[in-house]
Amino acid sequence: MIRNYIKIAFRNIRKNKLFSFINVISLAIGLSASFVIGLMVYYDFTFDKFHKDGNLIYRITTQYSSAEGKSYNYGVSVPLIAEVKQSVTGIQLATSFFTIEPSKVMNTSFSKPFNNPEKVIYADTNFFKFLDYDFLAGNAITAIDAPNKVVLTESRAKKYFPNKSYNDIIGETLVYDDSVSTKVTAIVANFKERTDFSFEEIISVETGKQSYMKDQILDENWNSTSSSTQLFIKLNSEKSVSAVKTQLNELAKKNASEYSIKYNEHRTFSLQPLNELHFGGNYGVFDFSEYKADKTILYSLLCIAAFLLLLGCINFINLNTAQATQRSKEIGIRKTLGSSKKQLVFQFLWETFLLNLFAGILSIGLAALLLKVFAGFIPEGLHFSLFANPLIIGFAVLLIIIITFLSGFYPALVLSSFKPVSVLKNRIFSTNSNISLRKGLIVFQFIIAQVFIIATVAVGKQIHFLMEKDMGFKTNAITYIRTPWMDSSIQKRQLLLEKLKTIPQIEKVSLGGSPPASFNTHATNILYLDGKKEIRRNIELLYGDENYLKLYNIKLLAGRELLNDTIHEYIINDTYRKILGFKTPQEAINKMVGEGKDAVPIVGVMADFNQRSLKLNIEPMAFIGDWNRKGYSQLNTIHLQLNETDSKNWSTVIAEAEDAWKTIYPESEFEINFVDKTVAKFYEKESSMTKLLNWATGLSVLISCLGLLGLVIYTTERRVKEIGIRKILGASLVQLNILLCKDFLILIGIAFLIATPIAWYGVHNWLKGYANRTSLSWWIFVICGLGIVLLAIVIMSIKTLSTARANPVKSLRNE
Amino acid sequence: MLLELNHIFKWVSQGGSRVFLLKDINLQVEEGEFISIMGPSGSGKSTLLNVIGMLDGFQEGEYNFLDESVHSMKEKNRSQLYKEYIGFVFQAYHLIDELTVYENIETPLLYKNVKSAERKALVADMLDRFNIVGKKDLFPSQLSGGQQQLVGIARALIAKPKLILADEPTGNLNSKQSEEIMQLFKELNQEGVTIIQATHSELNAAYGSRTIHLLDGGRNNI
Repeated sequence: MIRNYIKIAFRNIRKNKLFSFINVISLAIGLSASFVIGLMVYYDFTFDKFHKDGNLIYRITTQYSSAEGKSYNYGVSVPLIAEVKQSVTGIQLATSFFTIEPSKVMNTSFSKPFNNPEKVIYADTNFFKFLDYDFLAGNAITAIDAPNKVVLTESRAKKYFPNKSYNDIIGETLVYDDSVSTKVTAIVANFKERTDFSFEEIISVETGKQSYMKDQILDENWNSTSSSTQLFIKLNSEKSVSAVKTQLNELAKKNASEYSIKYNEHRTFSLQPLNELHFGGNYGVFDFSEYKADKTILYSLLCIAAFLLLLGCINFINLNTAQATQRSKEIGIRKTLGSSKKQLVFQFLWETFLLNLFAGILSIGLAALLLKVFAGFIPEGLHFSLFANPLIIGFAVLLIIIITFLSGFYPALVLSSFKPVSVLKNRIFSTNSNISLRKGLIVFQFIIAQVFIIATVAVGKQIHFLMEKDMGFKTNAITYIRTPWMDSSIQKRQLLLEKLKTIPQIEKVSLGGSPPASFNTHATNILYLDGKKEIRRNIELLYGDENYLKLYNIKLLAGRELLNDTIHEYIINDTYRKILGFKTPQEAINKMVGEGKDAVPIVGVMADFNQRSLKLNIEPMAFIGDWNRKGYSQLNTIHLQLNETDSKNWSTVIAEAEDAWKTIYPESEFEINFVDKTVAKFYEKESSMTKLLNWATGLSVLISCLGLLGLVIYTTERRVKEIGIRKILGASLVQLNILLCKDFLILIGIAFLIATPIAWYGVHNWLKGYANRTSLSWWIFVICGLGIVLLAIVIMSIKTLSTARANPVKSLRNE
Repeated sequence: MLLELNHIFKWVSQGGSRVFLLKDINLQVEEGEFISIMGPSGSGKSTLLNVIGMLDGFQEGEYNFLDESVHSMKEKNRSQLYKEYIGFVFQAYHLIDELTVYENIETPLLYKNVKSAERKALVADMLDRFNIVGKKDLFPSQLSGGQQQLVGIARALIAKPKLILADEPTGNLNSKQSEEIMQLFKELNQEGVTIIQATHSELNAAYGSRTIHLLDGGRNNI
């Protein structure tokens, strides 16, 4: 019986090539999007599932709440570590480690040092008890039980010592940053499963006390928190969560600073379960993790996949119920031959399943293509080979079955409920309920397509606005070079500055901190007493010498520049001036901010500019010199103004700058950044979102238009006779075209009316997240509406025009 | 007795008044009969056949088939009944265009859940008997009208029905083909199959053992 079903299904698919093609393509698009998105979801949801007692593992994180809002830090203050290990009950094991960023690592066998080794940590002795590493050489007990010991992973060992056996590597010495010397004590296998614990070099924490991290590792201050201080615990049982939380809250309360009590700021320690680590939420994973999985993005992707699938199903339902009359004869005969309704339903479901299977096979190929297109969007570890995973295969099969039912069940019901008598008497007319259902489904399709189109255009407009809007400082033709931060000598930096000055195409140079807008922030808390009340405010700090503001073309509204680059003076921005309550910039000049010995005069007020993405507001800020030059100089970046009109020669200028760099920092890599590129990086999330929206829009429009084309072909063919008669009666081509398209255009119009408020609401809400935003102009909606109407007319005219042009004699000839 | 119709009324409402399709039909059919139903177009021949074939319902009256009362049966049991005992032959043949000759004949067996080996044997017998073995892999569109009707009859017979209902089986055929088909019906009848045919042609009606004349939904002659 089943073989028979499949055979008939095949013949029917072959017979209606065009409709089958439309059905398969629409379903394949939805399925391939679902496969790719399913892979992404599966990938992100299966991190760190393999650890023993994973459900008992938690990371302790810090959360602050104050009047200004909540903030989060995924590290803890160092004294908490000892406290948790010694006195908190309900915990079977705790381990702490510090993520670090050495600038280089050296061994006598290396020809030159490896720069910036990544994923290096200082870990305590519990680390290898906590995580189940497989030791290829050495053992867990003595691996990092004393200073100057390091454990390498397999991959790192192969990188450093490509020709040595693991046992020979043990005992080798690695020197970090020319000062911290360690001996390799063990080699461990990298975790095979997906994990965020991707550390490559694990150094005993005692070693860290000899390094630049000494201050942090030995920190006894309860109120300084660095995200590089990581504390993980394994509970005795799941029941002890609340008990541990209570103890942590008590510790937070007991060790609250006077300051936080005075200003009503609360710090709490939270327990982040291991299975939430990968998604981070308010937290990051570890300092060096670039990719951040985002549940909301995954959920919106799932929504897009669901919509595309739904659109494909709608095409299927529409085309199959429209075609129903063509198959009514077969159904009538089958019923008189003794087929039950159930058997017919099964027959049609098999046919649907077969089409879905084709679509599924096709979509695996499409999915490979999509994975390439979205390479920038997809985590690095996600490969096409994940498709071979039995769980994924099971999911794909299940999805195809579900889609079969979703798309096939209704048409099967409609078809199988034909009464044989009326069919055989040729008295079958498609009932009105089917027509209105089809109309409803078309409207639904075009609502989705229209919402996507409007969203794409509006988001595009906003991003264009962000890119084009003046940041408030000059970004064009300005580059900056960060000097090696390990080498804090100001003399070398000044020497480099002088050398760069001699290159003729470099118009201006300045030594400063970060550019005016960057991913780095320095902030401090400043108190201002205006006699009546005190204004305490977190303000951002910008460091630079006396040329900095000129180079970036930041205007002074009042006052003067800094006298020199170490003097204690503030140039505040206009936003801070307003917060302090000065009516004019002039009024702020020579006022003192800060208390006691920290009181510093305001000598100038600079114009506002955006310090970060235009999504955010302008923060209060002060421009200052290099106050701590003796301790740690903040002027670590050289800013260069290149000749704007001479962009051809920039590469030679950069080469010359690199030569100058080599004479001063021979061991460090030269890296030059353009400010405008840095600014563009603020909008990476937006631009990947645009790309995604473009695809979602393109695909949903494609599916909807294919469905529309199918229906137009069908309805037009049924009206050939009518068209012939009308033509003989004198109807023109245009009139006929309008006649044929009218019904569909009305539906698209209705879809537009419904889609507009939905799209407006969605985009409006999205724009709310931006401090600087474009207006949602009416013309966006008009253009999008006209666009889709035009597209629909073009699509429909493919068929209607040729039909209208046909010779009426042919269609009216008696059969 | 094979079947019995008592006071069958069937009507449709048109603008408040009833238009009768069948009016007080009484009919008794014994096994082995060959009945011809005659009457002008619109007199209700097809409707009567459809009612007998249980494809169509009626408003009033009783219908007993093999001593079971069809009028009080559920749809499902009804279809079970006609699946088992009745074969249909149509004027327009009504073969399934997507299926080959072989598959068309096989289809009723599929719906009766006959096993594959048995199906093969039965279809082969039937092809043999109707001399269409050579055409078994052709599609209906590749056959002449007479050949198509042969397939139609073969299909109606494959499930070994007690009753064959034929609605103007030769209406689309020329006189030579027509004669062959009627001859075939006669042979079948002699083998014991009960046949009820609707026809316009006196000539065809003469093959039957009994003729019923219908006029505007009612019988005027027996």
